[in-house]
Amino acid sequence: MDTAIDIVLKLVAITVAFTVVLLIVAYTVLAERRVLGLIQGRLGPNRVGYGGVLQPFADLLKFILKEDIVPDKSTRFIYFLAPVIATMAALMTMIVYPFGPEIAIPFTNITIPLTIARFDIGLLYVLGITSIGVYGIMLAGWSSNNKYSLMGGLRSSAQMISYELALGMSLIGVIMMAGTLDLGQVVENQSGWHGTHWYILFQPLGFVIYLIAAIAETNRVPFDLPEAETELVAGFHTEYSAMKFALFFLAEYINMFTVSMLATTLFFGGWNVPFLDLIFARGTFLFGLVSALGFVFKICVFLFIYIWLRGTLPRFRFDQLMNFGWKILLPLALLNIFITATLIYFFPNL
Amino acid sequence: MLVLLFILFAGLAIGCGLAVVAQRNPLYSAISLIGVFISLACLYVMLAAPFIAAVQVIVYAGAIMVLVVFVIMLLNVEQEERGRARLKFLVPTAVALSAILIAEVAFILVTVQEFRVNPSSAPSNVGLTHSIGTQLFTRYLLPFEITSILLLMAIVGAMTLARRGGLLSPNARVVPGAQVLPLSMVDPNAEPDDLTPVAADTSEEAARTLGVTKRD
Repeated sequence: MDTAIDIVLKLVAITVAFTVVLLIVAYTVLAERRVLGLIQGRLGPNRVGYGGVLQPFADLLKFILKEDIVPDKSTRFIYFLAPVIATMAALMTMIVYPFGPEIAIPFTNITIPLTIARFDIGLLYVLGITSIGVYGIMLAGWSSNNKYSLMGGLRSSAQMISYELALGMSLIGVIMMAGTLDLGQVVENQSGWHGTHWYILFQPLGFVIYLIAAIAETNRVPFDLPEAETELVAGFHTEYSAMKFALFFLAEYINMFTVSMLATTLFFGGWNVPFLDLIFARGTFLFGLVSALGFVFKICVFLFIYIWLRGTLPRFRFDQLMNFGWKILLPLALLNIFITATLIYFFPNL
Repeated sequence: MLVLLFILFAGLAIGCGLAVVAQRNPLYSAISLIGVFISLACLYVMLAAPFIAAVQVIVYAGAIMVLVVFVIMLLNVEQEERGRARLKFLVPTAVALSAILIAEVAFILVTVQEFRVNPSSAPSNVGLTHSIGTQLFTRYLLPFEITSILLLMAIVGAMTLARRGGLLSPNARVVPGAQVLPLSMVDPNAEPDDLTPVAADTSEEAARTLGVTKRD
């Protein structure tokens, strides 16, 4: 009986979390278009609803109603499978992140954790699922039977393999300081000094490497070579239309969201809002609520940085991309590990 | 519940494994192999070895198979042609080897049933991150380091084989795999903007074409 209640509770948690995340993602798309408009001195979409707030739903409706064209000589099964893999891999990492501390429901004595699943290899799980996500793009490029798509898929796989290394290496410093791979524990370790004991203070180099590698992993400007529109039409999703294209689009934005969550969790204290424990006692409902909102706020800052970069930077050339990843980022990440290990050896109490 | 999950993932692993061999299209085989690795990872999770499961997905499914798929896509390998099996001697070899394997499995099944022990009820910590890390960096440190040096040597070897253009000046920028280069890139004595194309697979060949002595 208890397991049945458990499963129902988990399903509810998954539904709530995914709905909230998808809503945020939908509004990220709108925010991107409005902010890009601001940067480029124009308005952006502002006609659907007040200031364009209903634009994401209009977009969704359009995606559903558009004709779905499947190229004649595509490899059917894989062509259909690719967007599914991309979206699923993007969504699956969501379950390990701690969205907030344990929260006490008012007027009852129930406390619920604001994490869907907590296990002691949380970070490895995230890295593993992320590395599966690349197949969505590769297979899409291959199965479309289009040379631009193929080029996009090849570029994407080369890019993701290269930057995955730097990404993983940049996280090792934090793991060494935290002494655990459990993301919930990592966040709790950062709650010292009234919630300001963030690992960014000790790992600035690791954070910069992570941020750059994460942008490359999500195929965003300035690393958006897999879909470079000036060379490859639209890269790996050239032949995709209607809802299948929307799934790739969605996967990209969910990935942006999850790497922002990981950055927040590992470097910026997760749900720890500075000095909040001086106002509300730990474990109360308001403490949990404000912490969760703080978590979302930090993610939104990262999402804004993504959009800002897109409006500011030009695209890399492919050889620059490879040289940068292998000859600069990876050695720097190794150096970061070395420095961190030395510091931990001499100051074990930091 | 656990038995049902085991049957599901074991079945998936076997099904995907069969598909790896049976598919004619190399890309389908590769995708099936990814399926095998992921099902195996799920089985590791059920065996309370989460670290091994995660590493299985990250290393095999996420890195090695990406390279395999990459190469298949890059070479654009067409569907394997049916008939005219050139390596005919492989068929009896395969039959003999699989017979030995089946005999081995049968032997293990029989012996294991003879010496059956009760599985201990205490949860094992063999597959946990902490225990693996401790063992790897204390008791098995030497094999661990030797393995990493072996891998490093393999990488250096592969790089050496891939970049056989020995005549290139140290600051030349070459696209890996390119065999046609402008003369100015190959010969340090040529005019800097000499774009005469030179095709060379080995440094000896390049040296002969250019009529220069090979630099070491």
